[in-house]
Amino acid sequence: MTTTAAYDEVFTDVAIVGSGGAGLMAVLHAHAADPDLDITVISKGAVGRSGCTRMVQGGYNAVLSPMDSIANHFDDTLDGGKYLNNQDLAWTLVNDAPKVIHELETKVGCFFDRADDGTIKQKAFAGQSFDRTVHRGDLTGIEIMARLRDQMFRVRPRELEDVRGLDLIRAADGSVAGLTCLNIKNGKFVVVRARVVVIATGGAATMYKIAAPSREKTGDGVAMCVRAGLAVRDMEMMQFHPTGLLVGKARMTGAVLEEGLRGAGAHLLNAHGERYMTKYDPVRMERSTRDVVSRSSYMEIMAGRGTDMGGVLIDISHLGSAEVEKRFPGMVARTRQIGSDLATGPVEVSPTAHFHMGGAIIDPDCRTAVEGLLVAGEDAGGVHGANRLGGNGVAESTVFGCRAGDTAAVVARTREHPEIDIADVERAMAIAAAPLDRPEGILPFELTTRLKNVMWEHCGVVRNAEGLAAAIREIDTLEEQLALVSVPGPAAFNPAWNEALDLQNQLSVAKIIVRTAALRTETRGAHARSDFPERDDSEWLKYLVATQTVDGSIDITERPVEFSRSARPAPEEAEVEQP
Amino acid sequence: MPKEAGAPTGRLQVRIKRSAEESQERFEVERFPAMTVLDVLLAVQREHDPSIGFRFSCRVAMCGTCTLRVDGRSVLACQALVQDHAREIEIAPMAGYPVVRDLVVDMAPFWEQWSRITPYLDPKESLDEPAVVRPDSEEREAIDPSLDCIQCGACYSSCGVSGQHKTFLGPAALTRAMVLINDSRDAAGRTRLDVVSGQDGADRCHLIYGCTGVCPKGLDPARAIRRVRTGRVEDR
Ligand SMILES: Cc1cc2nc3c(=O)[nH]c(=O)nc-3n(C[C@H](O)[C@H](O)[C@H](O)COP(=O)(O)OP(=O)(O)OC[C@H]3O[C@@H](n4cnc5c(N)ncnc54)[C@H](O)[C@@H]3O)c2cc1C
Ligand code: SF4
Ligand code: FES
Repeated sequence: MTTTAAYDEVFTDVAIVGSGGAGLMAVLHAHAADPDLDITVISKGAVGRSGCTRMVQGGYNAVLSPMDSIANHFDDTLDGGKYLNNQDLAWTLVNDAPKVIHELETKVGCFFDRADDGTIKQKAFAGQSFDRTVHRGDLTGIEIMARLRDQMFRVRPRELEDVRGLDLIRAADGSVAGLTCLNIKNGKFVVVRARVVVIATGGAATMYKIAAPSREKTGDGVAMCVRAGLAVRDMEMMQFHPTGLLVGKARMTGAVLEEGLRGAGAHLLNAHGERYMTKYDPVRMERSTRDVVSRSSYMEIMAGRGTDMGGVLIDISHLGSAEVEKRFPGMVARTRQIGSDLATGPVEVSPTAHFHMGGAIIDPDCRTAVEGLLVAGEDAGGVHGANRLGGNGVAESTVFGCRAGDTAAVVARTREHPEIDIADVERAMAIAAAPLDRPEGILPFELTTRLKNVMWEHCGVVRNAEGLAAAIREIDTLEEQLALVSVPGPAAFNPAWNEALDLQNQLSVAKIIVRTAALRTETRGAHARSDFPERDDSEWLKYLVATQTVDGSIDITERPVEFSRSARPAPEEAEVEQP
Repeated sequence: MPKEAGAPTGRLQVRIKRSAEESQERFEVERFPAMTVLDVLLAVQREHDPSIGFRFSCRVAMCGTCTLRVDGRSVLACQALVQDHAREIEIAPMAGYPVVRDLVVDMAPFWEQWSRITPYLDPKESLDEPAVVRPDSEEREAIDPSLDCIQCGACYSSCGVSGQHKTFLGPAALTRAMVLINDSRDAAGRTRLDVVSGQDGADRCHLIYGCTGVCPKGLDPARAIRRVRTGRVEDR
């Protein structure tokens, strides 16, 4: 029996997909702009308690001090992004960040740490010319998301919790008409008819063997956009955080040990006890930027100088255990939980997939090329260019979430609910139901593991042409195998079925990541090629734009970076990237 | 690398309360070092029964969605380690909430109480700029130890009073109320004080400390409830 026989239908003005920083800020702003709007938030995980905004430890970059300046933050962001950024988006980010911090403090109810004089305290973070990172202990994300969740009791949007967006529904004229969803809790499909859809599902960084983000982030939003024919950019740019915990088979593997450890003087050692950063960046050593440190660790591991578990060691015990416990209580607790102890000895770490810079092409108001469709947060591309600065991620999700909400309110008033073709909707539901309806076949788990392994090995911290070609072949094979996946019932709260749906999206996104990585024959930011170890500004101040054609193939074009707000980098700034 | 002395290996017996079965189901999984209850569930899912229902998101004790009972005690599955000496563990959904499927519960009763205390800031009209509040002020000393609640629901589930009186506000909501009541940026303190002093409020608490014993973030809701009885910093 096919599961698609019946579905629920919801009519709403604005459908917001995702309930992280971008999604819930969009709810607040759409409501503030027009309190009569009917707003629906659709969330695969619990509302306000899923996604990575909740997991932010470090903090939030915003210019608050008169000694700092927007121009400085802008320059740092472009410098970090190796000049691949969309400059209008980066400019919007740095300009709005102080306003959003202001709003979080005076309206949303967040309270960030204070300096002794009672004003908001700002701390140092890597890659910045000024101490501008606002935080609440090392649990900043909980403060932001818990308070945003509280706001939902004031605004009262329709919450479709444990409901995952499947695919966009397009009207005959190509504009967006809503989306198909699956109610995970009861296994029923839901058709959400909306005047405006905001996509804010938080990117795709979980598709690596070692990865930091929360479970839900399987590229769903980007895959939905791609399948709807929308152009995406910078997809080859996947950030790896240098110090993810290695805990063997435990799910904790990949969880981040915070950047502050390296700042405070932690050493990184290979299995022979050598401080290998002396070879890769003798000046900045462990304090070098994320991309450089991740790459250096990866090279050591690949050269056979890693630990048995395939990692390196971080050691900060020379500061004395009392000092380490005082400064990094959360991190010490995290390591003690897994049977090691940061306060007294080395801990095994590895680079871990952290954040996807790539995503849908948007304008500063979050509009896309499809009428009625907006994208915000990690699902959008261009803000960070080739590498994101720590502290600019949560700034991006909240800044662009606000803008998406503002825009949604305007657009919703100009659109009717378009007619939809029910045959299209039923086709989308049949595809989603296939793994459950297929009487026999293979389980999805093994395929997911294979995808994570191949992405790690061949499209990870350092890449080369041969490996990327192998990755393209394996992903094609996995796509064929996906058609054989069968999961046992029931339909309600079925993790295996959801894994199959996740895999489909991960493959849609992975396909583009490997192809764009193969095309970029240079090393820039998070994208490192062992066969093209240098940054090449004469050839590659260009970004790659990918679209999926009707037959499923990927079309990629190069576009020159528009230097709309800054000069091109001077030749001496184009330092040789250390592969 | 220091080798963990007697790192547990071998098999672990797992008993799981399933919603479709009358009794518990038994499984056996291979142990590995630093194995959490979440790892146990993932192993059961992959090796035995892919349809088993449970919830998690962050796996680092930040989202608060993986709460369940292990051998009768409410814990975060991602934080609770399988003890070295354990041969067998028993996993059940949290008490006090309707079961959606297997280990997944409906948190509605928790949020219903949470929403009653007006959980969001009602900013004073004068709050144009981020407030200047010294970290050593009396206000922050009252509030700071009660921050970082992840709304995991464990305290509510373990509270004897909440279990019996469905209208009791419960430890988490009272903690949140205490924070807001003492926040000098907020204008709704008096209304909230009325709610927490009403019949469903702080006076119902019998100070059994079930909440404080179980909070995975080390908060002390019982202390916050005592604190809320003493009124506002601002009024003193
Ligand atoms: C461990 C960690 C630490 C970090 N620390 C920092 C930091 O210190 N500073 C910083 O600036 N940045 C940090 N970041 C990055 C930052 O978290 C992200 O940039 C940002 O939070 C992304 O926000 P978002 O709203 O786009 O997505 P998220 O907050 O990730 O939210 C995604 C939402 O989408 C939902 N969802 C997913 N798929 C679907 C679907 N199919 N249907 C419906 N809903 C769906 C999820 O349930 C979730 O609610 C960190 C990231 C990680 C992983
Ligand atoms: S107070 Fe503690 S136990 Fe209660 S909901 Fe918050 S984090 Fe969970
Ligand atoms: S999975 Fe988030 S708290 Fe356990």
